[in-house]
Amino acid sequence: MSGYIEAGYVIALGSLGSYALSLLRRERAARRGLPHPPRRAGTVPGSPAARDEPAEQP
Amino acid sequence: MRADRTLRALGVAALVGMVATTWLGLFVTPNAVGFADGTVRLLYIHPPLAWVMFIAYGMATLSSLLYLWPRTRHRRFDRLAGASAEVGVIFTGLTLVTGSIWGRTTWGVWWAWDPLLTTTALLFVLYLGYLAIRNVPGDPETVARRSAIAGLVAFLDVPIVFFAVSWWRSLHQGPTIDLATRHSYVHGSMAWTLLLGFVSFTLTYVWLMAHRYRLAALKDREDDQGLEAALAERWAEAVR
Repeated sequence: MSGYIEAGYVIALGSLGSYALSLLRRERAARRGLPHPPRRAGTVPGSPAARDEPAEQP
Repeated sequence: MRADRTLRALGVAALVGMVATTWLGLFVTPNAVGFADGTVRLLYIHPPLAWVMFIAYGMATLSSLLYLWPRTRHRRFDRLAGASAEVGVIFTGLTLVTGSIWGRTTWGVWWAWDPLLTTTALLFVLYLGYLAIRNVPGDPETVARRSAIAGLVAFLDVPIVFFAVSWWRSLHQGPTIDLATRHSYVHGSMAWTLLLGFVSFTLTYVWLMAHRYRLAALKDREDDQGLEAALAERWAEAVR
């Protein structure tokens, strides 16, 4: 092969791969930029109240 | 969560398909008689890229129509049209580049003013214009409506590109698979590799489009929240 064919494959697949990676990176950055949904007052992350589970009875 | 998992599985399937197509196309399939120096190996990526280009613009047009139709008007169709057109532009660019390489090895020139090549280049420019129109600032609803109309205008060139190989006898070879007569000019491992190429590139399109759509949705949410925050600030200033 002359090298042109391999170049065609590298350009096509390389461009698609770069575009895919850029989309993933931008999506992650956009998610980080968004404020988290408001937490219910008086709850701690991971606590039964935050998970909407009934608290254990003493 | 389930959508995330499905999308990840789709991405893995597309990646595996691409690797398999490349391996079969470059190292396994035979060289065809009448093609110089293995140039036929571009067959496994060039027609699939063009195929996805048609799917992407078809989806963008359908979404634009759904947005313009008052009963189905929803922002999600505008996002879908934008995402699909952007992916379509990438595939059109790659169709032109791989076609140009094929032309250089077969015809001896990088570019010829052949009807198919010219109308495809025009399609690329039309959809670049469409993406530019999408980025013109303005009220979201006005921008969406304006973009949907521009998308419908750009689509007028798609059937011309699709039928160009049949309408005009030119430098470009005829279709490898004739849909009208259901006749294929490739057989055996070449036909299977070409089919795998079509499937892999279509899966890649769906994956890219889904991620581009999600990015647009996140951007819309960010804009909405920014607007709400600005309004709240102005309200607080007025009350003070």
